[in-house]
Amino acid sequence: MTVETRRFGTIEFEEEDVLLFPEGILGFEECMRYVVLKHGEGSPFFWLQSLDRPEVAFLVADPAGFEPEYSPEMPPGVAQFLRLDETTPRLVYAILSIPHGKPEQMTANLAGPIVVNVTERLACQVVVEDGEWSTKHPVFEGAGGTEPSAATAA
Amino acid sequence: MLVLSRREHQSIMIGDDIEIVVLDIRGEQVRIGIRAPKDVTILRQEIYAQVQQQNVEATETRPEDVPE
Repeated sequence: MTVETRRFGTIEFEEEDVLLFPEGILGFEECMRYVVLKHGEGSPFFWLQSLDRPEVAFLVADPAGFEPEYSPEMPPGVAQFLRLDETTPRLVYAILSIPHGKPEQMTANLAGPIVVNVTERLACQVVVEDGEWSTKHPVFEGAGGTEPSAATAA
Repeated sequence: MLVLSRREHQSIMIGDDIEIVVLDIRGEQVRIGIRAPKDVTILRQEIYAQVQQQNVEATETRPEDVPE
């Protein structure tokens, strides 16, 4: 199957690649079907591309890659909603934001991670309320300054 | 919107299994207790609004700005 997207032109996907978000993503409740696209070979970044609206795509990454301490408490109901038990393979993605032309100021929304039941291709955005994680968590240390210090740290 | 006046220690039932209790009132702050089934998600409205706002902002991200 193919779908038109604004950023990536026409993309091909298989039905079994589709991730279903029964409640959508907050602010995009009408977009329920997504595919995950690699940003590039070997890149830690992926795009969550909506199949319902060509212009809707989210840059995402596994938060463990930049924030090893990240293990937010899941609100009750999430496991049931996603039909997860202890053994179900799952993925967690953080939605990333990059101000135009300023990749060093990339932030991750750690208050609203995406949780995926890999087996059932079922996903949702979870709102984490432990006060510890922000919607604008800097991905690179020292972000906001002119030098991304994480890139230069020895 | 349904509007109700409640005093300290009075409560409101929503359906038959959610109870909202006004615990105490101090100046401009109200402490509220909520009794609800375990699978009901309860969040401050502003956290939802922040996540939603950030999602909208995130869709402005351009592929050409993503680090290699």
